[in-house]
Amino acid sequence: MSDTVVETTNLTKSYGDFTALSDLSIHVNRGQILGFIGPNGAGKTTTIKILVGLSKPTSGTATIAGVDCSQNASKIKRLVGYMPDKFGSYDNMRVHEYLDFFGAIFGIPGSQRKARIQEVMETTSTTYMQDRFVESLSHGMQQRVGIARTLLHDPEVLILDEPANGLDPKARIEMRQLLLQLASRGKTLIVTSHILPELARICNVVAIVTAGKLRAFGSVDEVMSSLCPQRSYEIQLASAAHLEQAEQVLGKLLLESEVLTSSPAELTLRFPTVRTEPELAELLHQLVAAKLPVTQFRELTSDLEDAFLSVAGKD
Amino acid sequence: MNSPSLLNNPILQRELTSRLRSPKALIAMALVAIVSCTLVLMRWPREATIDLVSQGSIQVFRPVAYAIAIAIMMLTPAFPATAIVSERKKGTLVLMLNSPTPPWVIYIGKLLANVLLSVLLFSVSLPAIFACYAMGGISIAGNVLPLVLIFLGMAFQYSALGLWVSSRSQSIDASLRWTYGILLCLVVLSIGPTVLVGKLSGLKAWIAQAMTTLSPIPALQQITGAQGQSQAIGIGTGWIEFLIMCAVSTLGLALATVYKLHPTMMDRARDAGKVIDPKQSSWLRRLSYLVDPNRRKSGIPFWLNPVMVKEFRTRKFGRLHWLLRLVAGGAIVSILLTVVAATGTVNWGVDRIASSMVLMQIGFLLLLGPSLGANLIASEVESGGWQLMRASPISPWRILSGKLLSTFLTLLLLLMATLPGYVMMSYIQPAIGGQVSNVIISLLIATAMVTILSACVSAYSKTSAAATAASYAVLLFLFAGTLLIWLGRGNPFGPVFVERALLLNPAATALAEMKAPGFETFQLIPNGWYVGLSICAAGLVILILRIARLTRAE
Repeated sequence: MSDTVVETTNLTKSYGDFTALSDLSIHVNRGQILGFIGPNGAGKTTTIKILVGLSKPTSGTATIAGVDCSQNASKIKRLVGYMPDKFGSYDNMRVHEYLDFFGAIFGIPGSQRKARIQEVMETTSTTYMQDRFVESLSHGMQQRVGIARTLLHDPEVLILDEPANGLDPKARIEMRQLLLQLASRGKTLIVTSHILPELARICNVVAIVTAGKLRAFGSVDEVMSSLCPQRSYEIQLASAAHLEQAEQVLGKLLLESEVLTSSPAELTLRFPTVRTEPELAELLHQLVAAKLPVTQFRELTSDLEDAFLSVAGKD
Repeated sequence: MNSPSLLNNPILQRELTSRLRSPKALIAMALVAIVSCTLVLMRWPREATIDLVSQGSIQVFRPVAYAIAIAIMMLTPAFPATAIVSERKKGTLVLMLNSPTPPWVIYIGKLLANVLLSVLLFSVSLPAIFACYAMGGISIAGNVLPLVLIFLGMAFQYSALGLWVSSRSQSIDASLRWTYGILLCLVVLSIGPTVLVGKLSGLKAWIAQAMTTLSPIPALQQITGAQGQSQAIGIGTGWIEFLIMCAVSTLGLALATVYKLHPTMMDRARDAGKVIDPKQSSWLRRLSYLVDPNRRKSGIPFWLNPVMVKEFRTRKFGRLHWLLRLVAGGAIVSILLTVVAATGTVNWGVDRIASSMVLMQIGFLLLLGPSLGANLIASEVESGGWQLMRASPISPWRILSGKLLSTFLTLLLLLMATLPGYVMMSYIQPAIGGQVSNVIISLLIATAMVTILSACVSAYSKTSAAATAASYAVLLFLFAGTLLIWLGRGNPFGPVFVERALLLNPAATALAEMKAPGFETFQLIPNGWYVGLSICAAGLVILILRIARLTRAE
């Protein structure tokens, strides 16, 4: 039996002449966290709306646990816990009353609702704020209550739109731990965020979309190697006087594709390359042989931000 | 660098230009112009018989004056009532208060912008007023000029009132509700002591007379040639006293608002919520809060619509302790009215007492209904709650029924408050039992109409502030506008036209059934019910279609 929980096949959504989403095909397995990345207007929210049954695709299919998102929206709503980027608070309502209301509209019987609310409050560490008015909570607290709300009906899939947005560093760490904890319990998560280092830390799979098109999809390593095949190296020198000489030496040794950039303020030279380790060792040897005072020769690690910029920059 | 001053007031410029750009302001002005000109055209002489027609020009002048006065009452307070509270919510007020602009310049900017808009509003009716003058029978010094001054006084007073309430409110709908509530007290209830108690003497008489100067009604009656009606019920004040009171009250309200406009007004902790153990609360608290809002609520039972319960819990006014207080107040007033009539304290018949009760109930409905109904959908969409409900398995019908019930039941409770008065009335005069039943049916239709129409407005509005203001305007137009036509019965409107217009108004149906003064000749039941129910049914269909559209997948 396939372990795929969320699957989209050639998902397309058009509004008149404008195509918000074009041929998106992704799949997420049980217990995985998908980082859904893209600039504003890339089609992330459109995809999410189709997945939670709030929008219908123009063509293609989207399924959650085998259930078609557009054909069986009422069933989908029970399978998915959705937290939009806007919290959706009500005046004069306490956290407990708020969760009770959402429990009731999800049809959780009164006898089970009380225990379920306690359970989700414990999971999200919100028990201590149960008597506080939701609008009086800080943004971080509200995000926690938002996740508690999505967990109430025990959905298989959680779709969280910008859960780390506007959180302070401590709240962000707590949020990260909470999401990992939920994934470890077998929940499948789809998380959008603009804080890419944050996503890289928790995601198993990443999908990058720009202008409605899928640019990359796979594990973080797969995406990195497909989008950033070249490694970047940095050479640091002991003095500025040798910077020009180093540029001349490297100019002769590097290929045309290995474009050299210098940063006099930092006394560094950088270049992208696909050379192997022995080839790089030979390069360093030649620099030393030219009597250049090399203090550092190191690889610059690429991250998800570089991968994202490499595709976002093309649009 | 020059500090902003009264003449170079950036707030005045911004407020005025943004309001004038709004199509709503243009529509309001066009409506006032159309209504006032239509009234005059209906009586414009077709032949050279000016001397005969001039006797009737005052009868045209009167409804025109009242129509513009009602337009000023309905439209003037809406903008200032939201002006400060909405800026505070958006965070722009703190920016202004932290600028070198002094608070009084901010205040004057907002006040004058609103007054100028009101001046524009009533100035479009000036051709109609001067047409009345051209017909003869009214003078510039005795009628036209005092009328314009009254409108100006109203514009200042209601703008100052709206800004004062807005500076003290925490939410837009509460500000609108309080502003219109106080306005109702100023216009109608201020003449209550003189009308109800009759001839007084000494200090009490002076206070009762002073209170009548708060209302523009005696002033309007004086300059539209109906002073006799005021004097008959003991009111001895006129337009000059009204203008003096306008100046005094505007100044007082302005000082209180400017005093409040200080950066520290934002320095207020959010109410985090406090839960009280009912066993440990004091007897005074238990007495004041029969249903304590700070008590921990139990879960929503399965037999209740969760959306309805949520609506009751989330609005401050809708919470049960407030309703109980209002219901108790309404019950006491209705019983008092009946008792004073029964004991002969006032020389009123059952018809007049019943009319007062109907008017009180309609006042409650119009004061609270639009504010409650207009927030049903617009505020949910605004807060993001609508998106969450759409993502849940709850059906659109359940959402709609829960929301409508939350408003309908609240208003129904208020109506029930006057039932003891009707029971006593039926006891005093058993023959009117059938009439009382018909009045109650008419009021039920009015309640349904207020609920459905304000919910319809809400479903088509983008913000709760716009929904509340539009809802008040629509319902006042329906309820007060038809009474305005009734006011012009005989001249310029014929009896058939007046009767048809009154069919739209369930309050008029109730008043006609109780043979209230001025309504004796109208037979509005059952046609009034059919019209009212048809309006409700049409509104409900529109609402269902709109909700289906708002909830379906895009």
